[in-house]
Amino acid sequence: MRATNPLRTSSFRLTLAYAALFVLCVLVLFGVTYVFVNEYALQDETEEIAVEFADIQSEVQLAGQERLPDIINSHLKLREEVRAVYLLLDPQGNKITGNIEPMQPVFGPRMMDLVVEGKLRSVRTNGFRLGNGDYLLIGQDTDTLNDMTALIVRSFGVGLIVTLILAVLGGAIIGRSVLKRIESISSTTRAIVGGDLSQRVALRDSGDEFDALAAGVNAMLDRIEDLMRSMRQVSNDIAHDLRTPLTRLRQKLEHAHRRGASTEELHEALGGSIAQVDSILETFGALLRIAQIEAGGRAAPPAPVNMSKLLASIVEDFSPAAEDHGQRLVADVESGRTLSADPELLTQMIVNLVDNAIRHSPPGTTICVQGKVIGDDFELAVADSGPGIPVHEREKVLRPFYRLEASRTTEGNGLGLSLVAAIAKRHHATLSLNDNAPGLRVAVLFPAAA
Amino acid sequence: MRILVVEDDAETAAYLIGGLEEEGYAVTHAGDGRDGLFLATTENFDLLIIDRMLPELDGLTLVKTLRASGNETSVLFLTTMSGIDDRVTGLNAGGDDYLVKPFAFSELLARVKALARRPRGTHVETHFKVGDLELDLLTRVVKRSGHEIALQPREFRLLEYLMRHAGEVVTRTMLLDNVWNYHFDPRTNVVESHLSRLRTKVDKGYSSELIHTVRGAGYCLRARD
Repeated sequence: MRATNPLRTSSFRLTLAYAALFVLCVLVLFGVTYVFVNEYALQDETEEIAVEFADIQSEVQLAGQERLPDIINSHLKLREEVRAVYLLLDPQGNKITGNIEPMQPVFGPRMMDLVVEGKLRSVRTNGFRLGNGDYLLIGQDTDTLNDMTALIVRSFGVGLIVTLILAVLGGAIIGRSVLKRIESISSTTRAIVGGDLSQRVALRDSGDEFDALAAGVNAMLDRIEDLMRSMRQVSNDIAHDLRTPLTRLRQKLEHAHRRGASTEELHEALGGSIAQVDSILETFGALLRIAQIEAGGRAAPPAPVNMSKLLASIVEDFSPAAEDHGQRLVADVESGRTLSADPELLTQMIVNLVDNAIRHSPPGTTICVQGKVIGDDFELAVADSGPGIPVHEREKVLRPFYRLEASRTTEGNGLGLSLVAAIAKRHHATLSLNDNAPGLRVAVLFPAAA
Repeated sequence: MRILVVEDDAETAAYLIGGLEEEGYAVTHAGDGRDGLFLATTENFDLLIIDRMLPELDGLTLVKTLRASGNETSVLFLTTMSGIDDRVTGLNAGGDDYLVKPFAFSELLARVKALARRPRGTHVETHFKVGDLELDLLTRVVKRSGHEIALQPREFRLLEYLMRHAGEVVTRTMLLDNVWNYHFDPRTNVVESHLSRLRTKVDKGYSSELIHTVRGAGYCLRARD
């Protein structure tokens, strides 16, 4: 067998798809977090500057305008660790106090790159013109925010890698276990293709989908094995059952040939031979017919068949023949049921059953053709009071060529009931052989849909 | 009477032609469907015996083509024994009768004779008379020498078929086909038991028998001549 390339297995593809989905989830989560954190930080810094400005203003109101540089210096000291930026300029642009170099005043909130303590930093600022004409710039270093976003990016990066590893690993483990079970099924089927029909897929009794699949495969194999066995059986039977009459025919011809008999005797021998060949041909015809019905091909479209009418007409047709055998043929049929069926096959099925009953029942008995409506179903039955069929033989008589020991000497090819069984199956009907105490009752139950 | 045999199997064809010529028929042979169609349309035959399976042009198409061109010559189809609905398609295509291979020559001959006499599209007969036996389809009354005979429906149909083919040999299979509409052979003697009853009703008590058994072939309804 071709080694399964792990990269081409469906479980690998599934793993890949899951990993991609995980990564997508992580990325979305990251994006959302990033945006919200930034938003929050921005709002926080802007508010911080506004609060700071209000604080300074209220402190100036309490202490007086001339105390402003001191207030700013104390704020500067107080907020040194959060890297706050202050710059106070007089109206002429000269620096009064602050921790950055003097610059051209700018107003309103904005981002600026400023040199703080000798380092260039990204600072969120707001510039104000004070009541006495001084200029005040308050800034908030954003590096904290940058550090935070960097931390978020890093943690999500690590998370992403871990997720990827877990997804691939998990997928591989699950995939392997799935592959193993599929492989066990496919190795069984290969063994069967190789000729060993007795192989079966092992079940795990877990009741999962794989067990259901394996059970289905096993059931299919049982059916195939059954068919193979019956096919072998049938071809054996055909070979055997046709050999006997052919041998007899050969003996008859050889006998006539060797004895150099008179024209009259030769004529007689030939006549007998033709009759024998006819019976062999008849057997072939019956076999072909059964095969054709079982194959179900070229089926005539089903037509509505009035059962009481059909059964009555068959009983009428066979009554004289039954009388000639010293039997009575009667009908006991509930009227009004129509089946959708192949009328010709249905007729042949009933005729075969009546035929059997007449041939196997002794004189003085009654044969009853019954038609019963059972709920939505229709049961058709032929009951006789003949010798019947022993329970253990009932299954076997449905097989082609099978004949009871008692009837081996009577005329017939042993295909009648096989044909009935094939026709019943074609119509989805159930055939059953029951004890009529005494005698045999063959019943065919047609389901409601038929 | 001229018969065209369209059959590709040489052995079967020789068997048919030999047997039919022995019976006094003039027989022409075609080995495939196309030759068969050509001969059937260019010459005048009383009966065509056509195999269903033919090279060049199958039997069914041959007959369909023939019928479409207005040719109404009687057709007897030969079919293989496996076909369940071969009979139906054959008759639908315009065949007048069919025979399943392998067949006994007597069976073929009986059917050929029945077809040869079949009136094609002429008036419908409702009254039959053979010797002193009369059958009326409209009143459904059967009389012999003026005495009414009571028959069961199936016996009536059986007698009707025999009278339609009076003087001809009618086989068991023909009776099963046409009187019972059984296209298979039941093992029970359905035909025999009905015929013996019919015979009792029709012939018993009369000096001459009308229903005759032809050994190895079938039955024949015939007045003594």
